[in-house]
Amino acid sequence: MAYIEVAGVSKVYQGDTPDPIVAVDLVDLGVERNSIVTIVGPSGCGKSTLLHMIGGFIAPSTGEIRMDGKRIDAPGPDRGIVFQHFALFPWMTVRGNVEYGLVEKGIAKAERRDISQHYIDMVKLTGFEDVFPNRLSGGMQQRVALARMLACDPDTLLMDEPFGALDAQTRVIMQEELREICRASNKTVLFVTHDVREAVFLGEKVVVMTARPGRIKTVLDIDLADDAPRLKVDEKADEIWDILRDEVIKAVVPGPRPTERAAG
Amino acid sequence: MTAIRFYTPLFLLVALWQAAAMGGMISAELLPSPSAIISGLVHLASGGDLLTHVGVSIYRQMAGLLLAVIVGVTLGVGMAQVAWVRDVFEPVVRITYPLPKSALIPLLILWFGIGHNSKIFAVFLGCLLPVVVSAFNGTRGVNGQLVWSARSLGTRGIRLLWKIYFRAALPEILSGLRIALALSFTLLVSSEFLIARAGIGYLIQSLGEAGDYSGMFAGILIVALIGFTADRLYVKFMNWMLRWQDQG
Amino acid sequence: MAGSGIAAARAAAPARRRFKIPAFVRRSASIVVLLLVWEAVGRAEMVDPFLLPMLSDVLVRGFEEIMEGGLLQLAGFTLYRTLLSFLLAAAVGVGIGVAMSVSKRARWFLDPLVSFAFPIPKIALMPIFVLWFGVFDVSKVLMTAVACIVPIISATHLGTRNIDKYLIWSARALGTSEAKLFWKVVVPAALPAILTGLQIAFPITLIVAIVTEMLTGGQGLGGYMIYSARFGESDKVFFGIFVTAAIGYALIEGFAWLRRKLLAWHAETAHAV
Repeated sequence: MAYIEVAGVSKVYQGDTPDPIVAVDLVDLGVERNSIVTIVGPSGCGKSTLLHMIGGFIAPSTGEIRMDGKRIDAPGPDRGIVFQHFALFPWMTVRGNVEYGLVEKGIAKAERRDISQHYIDMVKLTGFEDVFPNRLSGGMQQRVALARMLACDPDTLLMDEPFGALDAQTRVIMQEELREICRASNKTVLFVTHDVREAVFLGEKVVVMTARPGRIKTVLDIDLADDAPRLKVDEKADEIWDILRDEVIKAVVPGPRPTERAAG
Repeated sequence: MTAIRFYTPLFLLVALWQAAAMGGMISAELLPSPSAIISGLVHLASGGDLLTHVGVSIYRQMAGLLLAVIVGVTLGVGMAQVAWVRDVFEPVVRITYPLPKSALIPLLILWFGIGHNSKIFAVFLGCLLPVVVSAFNGTRGVNGQLVWSARSLGTRGIRLLWKIYFRAALPEILSGLRIALALSFTLLVSSEFLIARAGIGYLIQSLGEAGDYSGMFAGILIVALIGFTADRLYVKFMNWMLRWQDQG
Repeated sequence: MAGSGIAAARAAAPARRRFKIPAFVRRSASIVVLLLVWEAVGRAEMVDPFLLPMLSDVLVRGFEEIMEGGLLQLAGFTLYRTLLSFLLAAAVGVGIGVAMSVSKRARWFLDPLVSFAFPIPKIALMPIFVLWFGVFDVSKVLMTAVACIVPIISATHLGTRNIDKYLIWSARALGTSEAKLFWKVVVPAALPAILTGLQIAFPITLIVAIVTEMLTGGQGLGGYMIYSARFGESDKVFFGIFVTAAIGYALIEGFAWLRRKLLAWHAETAHAV
């Protein structure tokens, strides 16, 4: 069995509409330990929902998710998460945020200092330890979020479109730095994005999802060297985009209403 | 701009007032001059009773306010987080919201008579709702991803409430408290005007009845200054507690 | 295939309750229970009827008071004073607020006054108003107006000053004269803020109006309640509270309705608590 095993998982929401909303529809996915898997798909395809279920924040409607053989039903420090809008605790300084998980673990102050400093340095925020988040730029805030997650030393890293709120230039830098960090550590990484090139650049495997209701369309291996020329990365990205294109159009261009679609 | 420069027009007004009074343009009975008020103030202070009255009023107000904060925040946060608490209390909040709490003063007089409790409860009941509402709204408005982040970093249960929800709701709770503070003064003074044997409101009324108008004005000035200072101090406190919000 | 997830979800989900508690029941259940308990406690004679008269006694007495005692007239007087004070405060307050955003001199003079007046309990000034104007309507109405005018001034001042400058620039580019600019652009754009200020002032008006009536007597709900309390007629006190709450409710709803009408064009999804 794979390290993270997603078996027959779907998520169905019963809203105010007559038909239920199927965010994720019977997904099976296996993630090997220490691999970096990126998940791409059009908006609303349920990729974030899937990630949130793996994180234990939402319960699946069907199926189950196991990590290392154990069933996932609640969040925990073995699965770290980073969100698109940073979700830093605004009332704590950078150091306060990074040390948060360590405090929860009951680690002593001096040791906490060392650990947090190590990670603050790793994300290149040395000198900003006592600054509050709202004085930081988006890119800097996301680095803090990364450091906060890494400080807990989780086995699995979950990233929910972490660079979506950053400007294009910052994004490129962050992608490079993140890849460095991921390669250097031995962690299992699940990275959700709508940016195909980002998915190819970062991932060893790319999972392509369909438009809602979200299913896995295909899973591709990326065997590019780290220093592969940009052209190669773009080629692969184009290949995936061709697969994804139809799904994106389905998501973006409204089709006939569900009742009509069922009849037709 | 320093405070002195900002309040210059106020000082000018007072100076004008003094000049008009000295020039005999204002009836000394109806509107004592600033100097008369000051001497009235000094007279009161030297009498020895003033401190007692002010102390009694502050005690009543603080007691009522503290009660309102403790009960109100607990209730507001509870209503936001626990469904049955919300189901039980939300109708009560909705029904009592439009009632001007000053209308409860006669009832409190009936129940508690002339002593401290009628004033304390007037303040408590009057300030409760603004605190509940801001605690409720503040807690409801907490960014869900903050909570998820905390959970994924190992926080669970009650700890989540205290470490995350309460802290994140603090800005809104604190601004609700500022309103409650101002309201507490109004309710305290109102209830002390209506029925009391002690307190600054009682003092003002009795001075007025005795015809000592400069004393009465002095008492009102004291109330105004206390209210003003309390608000300023509270704002400083609020800014200190929320210093992480400063955009720089 | 699309149906498979849903079907599986339905099969896996635990059997739901057959019925859902209708919303209106959930929303009023605790009040109804409270009222029933009140009545039950009264009937069982568990409480001193002086402190807590039976609910049915209160209602019966209240009905009598309305039919024979002219309670509704008293409520009418309270309402009249409240609205009069409010209109006075609104007219003067908006005027002052506008003056403050238009004239630098006015701002210099009034800013400190407003700042100082804001946190002080204006009701403390009541003895002065009584001294100057006696114990009848004038002192009540003036006191109430003064008590609620400060939020109106503040909100109007801020609302008219913080207009999106691009609105003004667009209007100018489309040929609006400076004089017309104020009424055609600034006031409509500031209206939500002004109305919010008025909405904050409104409950203050009722609170203070009641207190002034309690302090100086006369025809009105405040006077009615305080006299009843002084004579120990607790059932009248309770019913007075009910009537006052009803008036408060009517005023709040009325104001909300007015706001919806005036701001129909505004992208307000706000639901005030």
